[in-house]
Amino acid sequence: MRERLSDILVNACQSDSRRIVLSGDHGYALFDALRKKSPSSFLNVGVMEQAMVGMAAGLAKAGFRPIVYGLSAFVPMRVLEQIKMDLCHVSYPVILLGDGAGLVYSTLGASHQCGEDIAALRPLPGIKVFTPADADELEAVFEEALNTNGPCYIRIGKSDRPPVKQEKLKSTAPRVLRTTAPERPILVTMGSMTAFGAELSKAEADGGFDLGHLAVLRVKPVHAEVVEALKSAHEIWVLEEHHRSGGLASSVSEAISEAGYAVPRLRVWSLKDQFVHSCGSYQHALSEHDLSDEQVRLAFARAIREKRN
Amino acid sequence: MAENKSDTASGLKPTELRRSIVEMAYAGSSVHIGCAFSMVEVVSSLLGQVMNLGSGADDRSRDRILLSKGHGVMALYAAYSALGWLEKAHLEKYFSDGSLLHGLAEARVPLMEVSAGSLGHGLPVAVGYALGKRRLGEAGHVYCIVGDGEMNEGSMWEAVLFAGHHGLENLTIIVDANAHQAMGRIADVMNMEPFAAKFAAFGFETHDVDGHDLELLTKTFRQPSTSGRPRAVIARTVKGKGLSFMEDNNEWHYRRLTPELLEAARKELQGKSNHA
Repeated sequence: MRERLSDILVNACQSDSRRIVLSGDHGYALFDALRKKSPSSFLNVGVMEQAMVGMAAGLAKAGFRPIVYGLSAFVPMRVLEQIKMDLCHVSYPVILLGDGAGLVYSTLGASHQCGEDIAALRPLPGIKVFTPADADELEAVFEEALNTNGPCYIRIGKSDRPPVKQEKLKSTAPRVLRTTAPERPILVTMGSMTAFGAELSKAEADGGFDLGHLAVLRVKPVHAEVVEALKSAHEIWVLEEHHRSGGLASSVSEAISEAGYAVPRLRVWSLKDQFVHSCGSYQHALSEHDLSDEQVRLAFARAIREKRN
Repeated sequence: MAENKSDTASGLKPTELRRSIVEMAYAGSSVHIGCAFSMVEVVSSLLGQVMNLGSGADDRSRDRILLSKGHGVMALYAAYSALGWLEKAHLEKYFSDGSLLHGLAEARVPLMEVSAGSLGHGLPVAVGYALGKRRLGEAGHVYCIVGDGEMNEGSMWEAVLFAGHHGLENLTIIVDANAHQAMGRIADVMNMEPFAAKFAAFGFETHDVDGHDLELLTKTFRQPSTSGRPRAVIARTVKGKGLSFMEDNNEWHYRRLTPELLEAARKELQGKSNHA
């Protein structure tokens, strides 16, 4: 996904001189191609996230369409008020890229981990929030964000699993990755959990239990298709690398109830209300939240056994 | 938008702006009168004499004023009204239900440029804007009025650092140095001096001037800059300047005008010449 991200940034800047990529001294190799092919389109503003977002607003005011890169622990978390007042309040077309979302930086500790960015941004008026899982989703998300006349946030998390399936997506509408009978649960994932969710649902299907799977690329505003796909589900399972409050499970269940439907029974595997305590691998960090691959596999197996009994 | 009558006697008149602020503040029972009064001469000089106001709002080459110390906004409302950019009715309806103007600067108001109620926002936006204009090779100078108390904010110094490093010569920061912040004197709460030396150390051309001397302000702003650096003008001002019961009295960050004080203010401002 990172190679594709680099290509997308290069293309966006080469095809539109109003594009300029700002980074607060983060991203190192990600910008190599951009700096080589379109050097004037990249600006390392220095370690100053607050002023970076303000300056992006000023550049937008001058007619540019800036892309602001940071780690999600800082963009948006450190600059939430700048996003609210400098971007949302004036609906400037600025794209915020929050990289390393979730527990990617397991060895660096709590300062660089971020499981609250979606919850923080969702109440800000007018901002769109995207959660691409792989290169194809990233492409679709950028296609929409680059053509949006208002602020957008793109959450980029862990993406080192093989892509779910390679396909050119027409929009950021949810992807139905697996359909199932109405009495079976539908698994809903976003970003880093989508490829793993696909692995799980395939394994369960191979074992004779059909679990539906819906991948969400845009959590704000929630597409009507998400509601359509889930409103009559018997049960919804949400797997997300975000805290329970305000993330994917919140977005989806609120959208269903706002559309006037009863929310189906909901089971959520998400980050717990706690920081990661000890240092270790990505899987280790996830395990403190009962979200490691192994733990989730076991939890799903248990839940499926209950369904079968 | 009106032509700037910079070389005629018909520029903005500080006393008239103060009268307008008093009436507006009374109509809306607004606080922040002292904060607006200290920057009246700066605004009069810039909008009345110095700035190229261009051919209209869409003229991209015109100079811009970005108010970072949003609580001084009544000074801009008064000036915009005097320039005919803002209908007087908006001032008369200040703070009434459904009205246009808030007690802090909002970019949604025509020509207000930036939302700056929260401190530490306007200057970074001004810096980005100046950078954008320079990249486009666009004429037009960017003037950003900041508060001395506001300069406590870290984001302000981030922006100053950036502007200095990148030599944004199309940017002038004016510090309305009225020596007070919301809860006390700058010197007691968080000393910011030496202001000019700080800006100089960040790569700015600096000027330290009497912020109520209209002629001197205008002369300073008009001085051609040859340094290729951004400019900082430390305008030494008095909070509440223009009314004896307000001057250097920080209560007027918060107090509202009573009918008696309104009368006293009208009377005192009536007695002043327009150039005072």
